[in-house]
Amino acid sequence: METPDEIIHQPVRLRVMAALTALPDDAEGLEFSRLKNLTGATDGNLGAHLDHLARANYVEATKAFVGRRPRTTVKATPSGRAAFARHVAFLKSIIAGG
Amino acid sequence: MTISPHEAGAMLADIDSVVARVRQSNIYRMASRILMMWGGLVICGNLIATVAPRWAGWGWSLVDAIGAALTIFMVVRSRAPGIGFPLRLLAAFGLFFAFGGMWGVIIAHFEPRQLAAFWPTYFLLFYALAGLWFGIAFTLIGVGLSALVVMGFLWAGDGFPLYLAFVNGGGLILCGYWMRRT
Repeated sequence: METPDEIIHQPVRLRVMAALTALPDDAEGLEFSRLKNLTGATDGNLGAHLDHLARANYVEATKAFVGRRPRTTVKATPSGRAAFARHVAFLKSIIAGG
Repeated sequence: MTISPHEAGAMLADIDSVVARVRQSNIYRMASRILMMWGGLVICGNLIATVAPRWAGWGWSLVDAIGAALTIFMVVRSRAPGIGFPLRLLAAFGLFFAFGGMWGVIIAHFEPRQLAAFWPTYFLLFYALAGLWFGIAFTLIGVGLSALVVMGFLWAGDGFPLYLAFVNGGGLILCGYWMRRT
């Protein structure tokens, strides 16, 4: 039986993982600013949640400079994608059983 | 951790909503690049028509061929590996130019000034229609720029090609930039 993922369960992290896993495996990821718009989180809040997800090896962030401006791109790792898929299966199983 | 079916349903709906926004955002980003590219080409085409009106037909043929090739290239480059050549997009360009040519040249025999208004508004019609499925920004761009083209057709006089270079070409670039930020 599927079990909930305690890390992904939090609403902002759930949206982050939904956004990142909506991209193809080989996509370069989403920029921090796009992720902020998509999740409705503030800079600090999103940063904290991304750290949490990165510590669980669910996402990886790449920092680069475009001209003089720093750009952070975030991508779901294979283990993050698998964990998200399991969590979605768990949510669906609740509805199916409910 | 206990999650009720109602909460689970709300979370799945939240996920669907985010996924839909990511997809729309990707469509907008791709469309914005294509719009800006066409904007640059439209400026070139109209400048050719302004500076060398005799060569306008050839200039526009070249501009359209480059634009269609670049659009297909950009779409191909953005697709995931393993997905084949976008034949439907190629067919769409073929149909677009065939129907446009049929009306503009064979049936209606438009004058150069009318052709200069017909092609951009015909092109923008598809943007306006696309907005009904892919997001309101497409419709606003299609309707807004078409209105500016018609205003130029009515009131820009002999400077119509130059007007189109700035208003239509520049408008496409600005709209692409706006769409990228939407």
